[in-house]
Amino acid sequence: MFPTINWNLISLELLITATIVVLVLADMFLPKDARKDWVGILSYIALAVIGGFWLTQRNLVGQTFSGMFVMDSLAWFFKGFFLLTMFFVFAMTQQFFTAMAGRRNEFYLLLWLALLGMCLVASSADFLLLFIAIEILTISLYVMTAYLKSDKHSLEAGMKYLILGALASGFLLFGISFLYGVAHSTRFAVIQAYAGTHAMDPVMLFGLVLIFAAVGFKIASVPFHLWVPDVYQGAPTPVTALLSVGSKAAGFVILIRLFFGIFAAWHAQWSFVLAVLAAVTMCYGNLGAMFQTNIKRLLGYSSIGHAGYLLMGAAAGTALGASAINFYLLGYLFTNLAAFLVIVLFFIAVKSDEIADYAGLSKRSGLLAGALLIALVSLAGMPPLAGFFGKFTLLMATVQSGLLWLAFIAVVNIIISLYYYLMVVKRIYVDAPRVTSPIPVSLPMRLILGILIAGIVGIGIFQGPFLNAAMTAVKGMSFILP
Amino acid sequence: MIMPHPLSWILALPTLALAVLFLVPSDKVALVRRISNIGVLLPFVLSVWVFAAYDHTLGGFQFIEKTPWVVPFGISYHLGLDGINAVLILLLGLCSFAGVLVTQSVKERVKEYYILLLLIIIGTYGAFLSLDIFFFYFFHEVATIPAFLLIAVWGSQRKEYAAMKLTLYLTAGASVALVGLLALYHALGLQTFDLIQIQQHLAANPLPVAVQHWIFPLIVVGFGVTLTLWPFYTWAPVGYAAAPTAVSMLHAGVLKKLGAYAIIRFAIQLMPDAAHTWMPVVATLAVFNILYCGLIALTQRDIKYILGYSSCSHMGYILLGLACMDIIGLNGVVFLMFAHGVMAALAFALIGSIEDQTRTRNLDELGGLTKAMPFIATCFAMTALASAGVPGFANFVAEIMVLLGAWDHYRWQTVLAVLGIVITAVYMLKVIRLAFQGPLDPRWNKLVDAQTPLQKLPFILLLGALLVVGCWPSLILKNIESGTSPVLRSYVSNH
Repeated sequence: MFPTINWNLISLELLITATIVVLVLADMFLPKDARKDWVGILSYIALAVIGGFWLTQRNLVGQTFSGMFVMDSLAWFFKGFFLLTMFFVFAMTQQFFTAMAGRRNEFYLLLWLALLGMCLVASSADFLLLFIAIEILTISLYVMTAYLKSDKHSLEAGMKYLILGALASGFLLFGISFLYGVAHSTRFAVIQAYAGTHAMDPVMLFGLVLIFAAVGFKIASVPFHLWVPDVYQGAPTPVTALLSVGSKAAGFVILIRLFFGIFAAWHAQWSFVLAVLAAVTMCYGNLGAMFQTNIKRLLGYSSIGHAGYLLMGAAAGTALGASAINFYLLGYLFTNLAAFLVIVLFFIAVKSDEIADYAGLSKRSGLLAGALLIALVSLAGMPPLAGFFGKFTLLMATVQSGLLWLAFIAVVNIIISLYYYLMVVKRIYVDAPRVTSPIPVSLPMRLILGILIAGIVGIGIFQGPFLNAAMTAVKGMSFILP
Repeated sequence: MIMPHPLSWILALPTLALAVLFLVPSDKVALVRRISNIGVLLPFVLSVWVFAAYDHTLGGFQFIEKTPWVVPFGISYHLGLDGINAVLILLLGLCSFAGVLVTQSVKERVKEYYILLLLIIIGTYGAFLSLDIFFFYFFHEVATIPAFLLIAVWGSQRKEYAAMKLTLYLTAGASVALVGLLALYHALGLQTFDLIQIQQHLAANPLPVAVQHWIFPLIVVGFGVTLTLWPFYTWAPVGYAAAPTAVSMLHAGVLKKLGAYAIIRFAIQLMPDAAHTWMPVVATLAVFNILYCGLIALTQRDIKYILGYSSCSHMGYILLGLACMDIIGLNGVVFLMFAHGVMAALAFALIGSIEDQTRTRNLDELGGLTKAMPFIATCFAMTALASAGVPGFANFVAEIMVLLGAWDHYRWQTVLAVLGIVITAVYMLKVIRLAFQGPLDPRWNKLVDAQTPLQKLPFILLLGALLVVGCWPSLILKNIESGTSPVLRSYVSNH
């Protein structure tokens, strides 16, 4: 009675699980001196191996576990995305916890667990598996957010994230039950077949709205964004980085599967709602960011703004829109992680995240100032950086779908965001430093910062290959209507 | 052909200089200066060469280079030269070279300064040379952001406010235009940003008039911000006043011409029917530019503000010429872009060399500078004459063409525009009288004139260009004519 299982399809997740087991054992049985560094080193080695393995999965397509688990181009793209994110988050973690003298090893385990959750999200083909995957991701994030036990901001952030996250999970389950009630299944394929052959069903719509609430929580879309500023500010910076890039991207995989796959047939009905949400989200994020004095909080609001831009792609509802989301996220990965890496390195040296303390950073460290400048200008969407072409493709998709009003709101938001990013740039380059001591940056960190900057500039100038990757991911996606 | 891919080299050489600058330690100031000077001189020489080598009897786009870049969107790296941008890169070459020469006076954070300046220059060259709408926009924006830092760090007087205002206005304008360009892209349905392909397609199948009607104003207003179209000009005087000399020169001289260039290329040529309806509005706004900004210039006491408002006022002639939609007006526009660009760069360079020493440019504090700086004063007097449209200078030729072109279409606007020339003469003569004549304030006894040939070179170069082109207009007019006639071809046959 047992269905045949294609283990090959889930081999990446199995490898990640195996890594977690090895790391737990290493943490338990290695001599005390060795385990301090070895969990980190093993993590890097495992990530490299899994990354290599991921490359071999490029053309792997199929479903298994009775159609609960899917491997397709979209899943492949996002798994690579998550692995890449982790590479940089590991680097931040190593720096951050060396300086904070915290318990680093368990933190690596939690990061691996989050990675497992994100990869499973990318491959879910059933709402139940999706729920479990999201929970794996979110629960590890709860713990990581509140990881600095002695810091009350971190605890507050963890609590806020926990309460709202639990609420979102509740919504998700509740929504799934409605879909099940109508379609008698939680499989994506079955629900898609139902949506394809029926007119919009109010019960199902209600379920979809509830599920969107959970996704909205992940991507930080209005009105499910309330946790963002506090959690971004309070969480340890590597976690903030993970939340803003990995967790957000995981939300967008679900969004793409939902609106470009399962419910694509109802495009006309949800397009306008998503467009309004996009507009409200970007306005909220960007207007809120204008008045922030803490750099992590500022990036929190800006992250809401970016969720708004990304939702434009979803509102467009075309293959171009979905590709634009993928491309934008790719640029956002390098850009945002570069910004957060600078924040980590600055925090280690100065012990502050206040924008006022960034005054005159260019005189203290040309590298950090330059990297933050490039990251912020890219976030603002200026060429020749990655953020520009991302916004360009999103606007292109929006205009193509005839949502001209949304494009104009986006333009207004781009100007607002340019203002507050440039205010930070002004602090760094124009204002006089309060303390003039130089901030040293170690060689490995220079290297990683260099990779991130090269990514930002490279994607910004040689857009072609990256756009192709983003488009291929959409083209070969499962559950896409013919 | 002597050199393969000359246009790519024009972009590559300053980019190479930029890359080398990153590797040079920032305390080697002399080396940094030398690299930057060479990095700007070489593309200038190349731009003179391609200008001379451009065959105006053949017309059309020459020196074309094309490489597919983003295939799914139909974006290609596509460079080419016609009569219009040949003149404009010549202008850019002149102004950028003069600009780096006067930058000798920058003493702080020299390396960063040159890096940002080179970025502006690369972006502007790229925008002028690109025959791909995407890359035009791309390079146009590349030239925008560095100005923020250049003004905010090395500027003077309300520099942070000015830098922010300039950047936000220019980006806002460009983004509005971008929506227009994207709408155009989708309305065409060709899946390409290639300007030549689009031109060929539109020559046979023009866009529906209704579509043209709403895309056209987006592009004209969007790029109009760059061109300081009234009432979107307020960023310019503030920005130029606060900017360091080389940035004022490039911005007032060259960058704002990108706006006019874009309007010619994308609005007038691609959507002639909409131009027919909208251009009377533009002509009226042009009069506001000329008179309103001219009158404000009359009231200013800060020389850089006078020049800034004067520059906005003169953009009115460019707008009026664009609005004519006939060949003589359009020739006048391109001619004026060149003439005004050189004149504005010269004026800002001269004021910059005074301000470097006096630390003020207020008319009430200056006076009698002719005695201390005879060379600079003479150059400024000639610039003022050029600005006021005195025959012999290029500006005269350009303005007369614009006014002749406009007379047939916009009678009363032309009459008012002529009034603007009188206003220009008044404020320019006022500057000469208050700053350069009269008794010399003892404070300024120690002022040093431009002495070495190298110090005089930028001024002589620019002034020479104004005089040579003014006395021998056909030097550039032949190229301009070969470039402008295709722009209006479909319009002339339909209206």
